[in-house]
Amino acid sequence: MTQIPRWILPTAISVTVPLPSYAVQYLSVSQAQKLCFPEANQFVAAHVKFTPAQVKAIEAASGEKQLLRGQEIWRAMKGERLQGFFIVDYVIGKHLVIDYAVALSPEGRVKQIEILNYRESYGGEIRNPDWRKQFVGKTARSHFALNEGIANISGATLSCRHVTEGVRRVLATYEVCLK
Amino acid sequence: MKFASSEARRARPLLGTFVDITARGADETDLHRAIDRAFATIQRVDRLMSFHDSGSDVWRINRDGFPKGVIVHPWTWRVLTCAQEFSRKSNGVFDITIGRQLVKWDYLPKLGKRFGSGGSWRDIVLDNKRNVRFHRPLIVDLGGIAKGFAVDRAVEALKNNGVKAGIVNAGGDLRAFGSASQFVHLRHPAWPTRIAGAVRLRERAMATSGVYFERRKYRGKYVGPLLDGRTGQSGRDLISVSVAAAECMVADALTKIVFTLREKAADLLAQYHSDALLLERDGAPSWIFHSLCDTPDRIRFA
Repeated sequence: MTQIPRWILPTAISVTVPLPSYAVQYLSVSQAQKLCFPEANQFVAAHVKFTPAQVKAIEAASGEKQLLRGQEIWRAMKGERLQGFFIVDYVIGKHLVIDYAVALSPEGRVKQIEILNYRESYGGEIRNPDWRKQFVGKTARSHFALNEGIANISGATLSCRHVTEGVRRVLATYEVCLK
Repeated sequence: MKFASSEARRARPLLGTFVDITARGADETDLHRAIDRAFATIQRVDRLMSFHDSGSDVWRINRDGFPKGVIVHPWTWRVLTCAQEFSRKSNGVFDITIGRQLVKWDYLPKLGKRFGSGGSWRDIVLDNKRNVRFHRPLIVDLGGIAKGFAVDRAVEALKNNGVKAGIVNAGGDLRAFGSASQFVHLRHPAWPTRIAGAVRLRERAMATSGVYFERRKYRGKYVGPLLDGRTGQSGRDLISVSVAAAECMVADALTKIVFTLREKAADLLAQYHSDALLLERDGAPSWIFHSLCDTPDRIRFA
């Protein structure tokens, strides 16, 4: 599981994940880069640490709160030619952080969105020791398998609204910091 | 025979949820190309059948279905035909015109007065040549069936691009294909962040409907987005219904019917060679139905 860089973390919020959770790592950053820009031969890091004025401008342009202190951005290059921008962003899903990547064209249009890491917690019940006990000694064949044991869940009408809002914020970040 | 040695798994935000695709095969680059195609297919279904997007077929028929009529894409036509079949066979329990109630409860955005306020599936006329016409102003919403259709099309796209096995999961509506059976976990009906159990699927689709995160209050009463088309009332019970069928579109529509009719849906389930599992509030199964046809691929409740 990838670690969220410290310099990006909001000071007030801890994003560590100590609770048992359903987690899927779909793609690493470099895998996603290659899938979004197959023709690129170089990804040049152009990370941004926001100034207070930039945070304000992003919030004003997107209507979304900017909790991150910076953004991981790569320029996808084919030789000297800019193919677009590859931006990693983080949003809180139901309870936990979802990492995803947005690929933008040089003009700032969304080319592709890929989820990198998806995490879903088992909510407040985990704090209850009886609930925890159910999992002690469970094998992979158990109905209550955690983590890797759960590959697919049915009945998961989890909304992707947070990612949609995040993309709006990323587009505003492009306007403010990259254009 | 080449052995499936690689696996690729990706997810994108589509259809208002997270669509998760796993593909297994020989070459990883080919798998990713196939997954790209499958996502593009889902996006196409989304664009045709979205309730919100101006320009979608659904938006157009809601605007011009009465009195003029609208010609729709063959895919939209297939979903509408199938929806009407389920309405007929369930005597209106399944009804794609219940959108008006969902608008009232704020599950769907308001479209303005001219979009009508009454009627039922019986007011929809499907003429020849893919023309959709309403007898009166109606609001049609394909939310209860289009997601399943999108999963089916995505599986088709994967197969057409050489993928031998995999699973497409669109926020709980899923379909597994290939020789190996897949383990699918079910959410607890009352505690959606818990797992209630698991089933095994092989060459089969499954959809699960429950109220889950979707319950909200309207005029002091809890309502949910799963309605009985005959009465416009919502199922308030914290139960979940899972239906397994060959096609995800069929499974998707049948969950809505079983949610209301429970055991009374047995005949209909048998007609579609489908299986059903009903979980009560406490997470325990209260009804399991295996279709009468003797298929070796039927659902196994692990």
